[in-house]
Amino acid sequence: MAGKIGVYFDMQNIGGGLDIEALASQTREKWGELVQVVKVCPVLACTVDEIKADIASRQLDGVLLCGASPRAEADVYRLPVQVEYVNLREQCVLSYKNPDGSPPDFAAGPPEALSIMARDYVNMGVVKLQKSENPDSAAVSGVERILVIGGGWTGLTAAAEAAATGCEVVLLEKADTLGGAARNIPMASPLAPFWTDKQPTNLSEKISAVTGNSKITVYLNARMEKLQGQPGEFKAGIITSDGTVNVDVGAVVLATGWTPLDEKYLAPMGLGRGPNVLDAAQFGKMLVAGNITASRIAFVLDITMAEEAAREAAGAMADKADAESGEGADKFVKEDLENIRHLAYSNAVNSVAALRLADTVCDKTNDAAQVFILYKDMTVPGILERFYKRMQDRPGIMMTKADVTEIRESGDNMLVVCKNTLLGMDFDLEVDLVVLPTGMVPITAKDVVVQFDYRQGPDFPDLQLFDGFADSNYICFPYETRRTGVYAAGCVRQPMTMDGCEEDAKGAVLKAVQCIASASRGIAVHPRSGDASYPVFNFVRCTQCKRCTEECPFGALDDDEKGTPKPNPARCRRCGTCFGACPERVVSFADYNIDQIGSMIREVVVPKDFKKEGPRILILACENDAYPALDMAGMRHRAWNPFVRIIPVRCLGSVNAIWVSDAMSKGFDGVMLLGCKYGDDYQCHFVKGSEICARRKENIAETLNRLGVQPERVEQLEVAIDEYDRVPDLIDGFVGRIIAMGPNPFKGM
Amino acid sequence: MAQCILKPDLQFAQELRESGGENLKKCFQCATCSVACPLAPANAPYPRKEMVWASWGLRDKLRGDTDLWLCHNCGNCSDLCPRGARPADVMAAARTIIYKELTSPSIVGKWMSRASGLPVLFLIPTVLWLVVWWIRAGYNNGNWFPRAADGRIVFGQIFYGDYTIDPIFMLTFFGACFILYCGVRKLWDMFRPQGKLLVIGKKKSWFCHLIDVLMEEVVTHRKFDDCEDGPITGKAPSNRKWGHAVLVWSFAILAFVTAVVALGHWGGKIIPVIEIHTPMPLTFPVKILANIGALMLFCGLAVLTARRVSLDSANHGSSFYDWYLLGIIWLVAATGMLSQCFRLADAVKPAFVVYYFHLVFVWMLFAYLPWSKLGHLVYRTAALVYVRMYGRS
Repeated sequence: MAGKIGVYFDMQNIGGGLDIEALASQTREKWGELVQVVKVCPVLACTVDEIKADIASRQLDGVLLCGASPRAEADVYRLPVQVEYVNLREQCVLSYKNPDGSPPDFAAGPPEALSIMARDYVNMGVVKLQKSENPDSAAVSGVERILVIGGGWTGLTAAAEAAATGCEVVLLEKADTLGGAARNIPMASPLAPFWTDKQPTNLSEKISAVTGNSKITVYLNARMEKLQGQPGEFKAGIITSDGTVNVDVGAVVLATGWTPLDEKYLAPMGLGRGPNVLDAAQFGKMLVAGNITASRIAFVLDITMAEEAAREAAGAMADKADAESGEGADKFVKEDLENIRHLAYSNAVNSVAALRLADTVCDKTNDAAQVFILYKDMTVPGILERFYKRMQDRPGIMMTKADVTEIRESGDNMLVVCKNTLLGMDFDLEVDLVVLPTGMVPITAKDVVVQFDYRQGPDFPDLQLFDGFADSNYICFPYETRRTGVYAAGCVRQPMTMDGCEEDAKGAVLKAVQCIASASRGIAVHPRSGDASYPVFNFVRCTQCKRCTEECPFGALDDDEKGTPKPNPARCRRCGTCFGACPERVVSFADYNIDQIGSMIREVVVPKDFKKEGPRILILACENDAYPALDMAGMRHRAWNPFVRIIPVRCLGSVNAIWVSDAMSKGFDGVMLLGCKYGDDYQCHFVKGSEICARRKENIAETLNRLGVQPERVEQLEVAIDEYDRVPDLIDGFVGRIIAMGPNPFKGM
Repeated sequence: MAQCILKPDLQFAQELRESGGENLKKCFQCATCSVACPLAPANAPYPRKEMVWASWGLRDKLRGDTDLWLCHNCGNCSDLCPRGARPADVMAAARTIIYKELTSPSIVGKWMSRASGLPVLFLIPTVLWLVVWWIRAGYNNGNWFPRAADGRIVFGQIFYGDYTIDPIFMLTFFGACFILYCGVRKLWDMFRPQGKLLVIGKKKSWFCHLIDVLMEEVVTHRKFDDCEDGPITGKAPSNRKWGHAVLVWSFAILAFVTAVVALGHWGGKIIPVIEIHTPMPLTFPVKILANIGALMLFCGLAVLTARRVSLDSANHGSSFYDWYLLGIIWLVAATGMLSQCFRLADAVKPAFVVYYFHLVFVWMLFAYLPWSKLGHLVYRTAALVYVRMYGRS
């Protein structure tokens, strides 16, 4: 609880639209003793030393900086006490327009509605700081040992990299030798600059570097029994041929790779029918062994035939499944997620593989062979474009986009029927051998690999969203899974070429190292990197309803038999979904809690006269995307209605229904929940937050309905970070609907 | 349903690469070239499709492709190609191979296709005219550099028109014409698709189309304007149209002069009034016209040579065919002009030697025309006539 607050106004950033002196004296009058210092600074950034002096001389324990958005200059104000910001620039002055929608005339003095808004925001800032305190440390021991699951190309790279950072490594491989799928690929697509030529993998050297490293312990023929605890102090049970071994590890790198898609999926394209049709993996092995004599080879990357057959089969299956459905199981059953889509996902890897294998064929025959690559999409990732260019230049390699509609035998040869080709005609291609792509199925699609000993079950959640790939948000946070401290790398995350796997392994190891360091400091790894707060449970009031343990998107909460939550702060990502869920409001963060936001809401002055002084509308805006979008809109002078008050929240998942009731009882006319897109293609940083919020909103609407308040007064809207041009219209549209509805019936009660 | 079975011929692709299309495999089928080409028709434009046919070695597709001949080789496509595949050079290489294969005896085409064949090509007329010189020197009392009775230098004393130059050149000329005629017949057969070709609408005879092509395209060089109206390539506009047009017109003038002189000479034997004596005085109208033609020849050549020298080698290559043609015309023009100068300067030995080489080069120009790049004079015209007959232009 901040008891002595210093309030500083930044004239440089606020500009001339507001009477800052008036605002300062208002603040002084209203808060009295609580606010020890109120200063108007010409340039706040030059006043840092003065603020530090004030902190020392006046024993301030909180500083409120009124000026630019907290996103703008936060790095300037590294102060020894709590710092809070009031966003008077982007979301107040810059985004201000008159209630009637006309642009403000600042020459005629500060507009009234703007002054009222600024006053509200400053007061909200003061109360926010008042109800906030520095969290106690949640640091754990932080064991500097990394468990790498999978001893293939990615796992070996990860183990070596992790050892190079100084960590100890435990490498776990289910087979009896290291190397995995890489054992069948002596020559890989380019692994290093200049990315034009295939390269020997030198796998045996990589293996001996790992086995010869004293920091690395290798367990062969091993699998996970369970993973307990939390990042920094995981306890891993490993089943080996000599019994179970227990190891303490700080973090986990998941590099279990892939397994080839079942042959049945490629049977419609002729696989398995004769020796003249192979898949890329088989062909690669035979080529290495010198068993390929064909001089005309067609690589068919167009998989439409297989996809159509699978679609038909799925249709037939669905009819059957309908008849069988209805059985429910309490016990966790792993669903096999292998399916035809894995073939399409693997297209980039197969494109590169086709080029690499074609190159090898040309090498072996001194360019006397004819190799055809028939593709629907030639997808060559990133810099490997250089390899593609080089291969394109090989005389024997002929490529065209084509719809391959039939592959059949014709005498001793195979006939590939091609339509819609770049050659401007449909044709048959007579070849000796047809090579089909290999579907890469992540091991996590078929097996429970990690065996989490977590309340939410032994497997990663929502794997079906990604057809089994262990990935939660690959654009924003690659490597990150839905289980903090476990980082996926390589083909278990996404089909990728071997150079990609190496890069991935390094990235995941860096994440693991960062995770251990963060756990040992008691701070969040991501997305709220460095956040020292964590949820604190007031168990006295807990009713063991299990909502928090079930809703936590990251499985951070375990529980005992009675259902009392057992927090694991190092697993927590600090989104606040738990306290949004809690009907008893027993969960809070030191610097973010129910009472704090409720008090901020109550701090807004809601006028009684709706017609004359306008409505008041609360916006709870997601800090991650919606809030920056609002900032950007402000910076571009995209104004919105001045009757809204914006409160940033960590995630819409942290919105507790009580805030909405607080607002409605206070007399607010509407509440807008502004957050990220949800659903299968969600953009939520915390994966589930906006989705959970949407679900809770239904309950809120029901409650409002019972109370005789139109449920439409609460609305959740989705916005992406780059949609700053749309946000003002969203707000104005909502305000328009509220004005049409008239005042909140509870107003003034 | 049975479709055609494709038979890629990598040997053919290799030949194309050797004939100037060495970058053809770089093409990744983006079709920038087809969009860039100001001449390509909207329906199945070129040269994108020719590029993939070339890289797959589809000989028959390229042989039957009239579009190869619609291309006027402005190089916009090569300038704009994002991969440096040089479509213009590939098209030129394909035409070159077709000259070579179309025209028999094909051994000449083989000599013509690379610099190493040049000595043979050169040796044939050298020996031919040396023999003529030797024989005629015998008639001049063994004097290889005789003067006329009045002391002037008269080339006719050695290279006597009636018995040496005229029969040899007439034979060469009509022989070339015959070879070209056979070539054009073959070319049209290659263009003709399998099955029956039905032309709907008003038909004109090939001769009317030929006149149209000559009047609308060859004389005016209209297509060259279209080329220059193409997309902005960032390259300074060349004087290609004027260089080429002046060259073509000078050829026309020199052909006309030759025809007049031949008519005057042979016709004069029957109707004495129109008799023309060579060498003609410098002020004689036909002589004036001849020298104007020669000057234009130099101008056109200079422009085209300068252009070819300054071509951006990153996007354009010049093959042996290109240099052979420019070189041979330069040599014809230079030896022609020089021999006249030496004659007027009364330098008897240089005059005869240079004139001898002039004859060698002129013979090379005409005799090898069907296999050389100059063949486009006939083959492209024939192709343009064909496409007009069947409605793709």
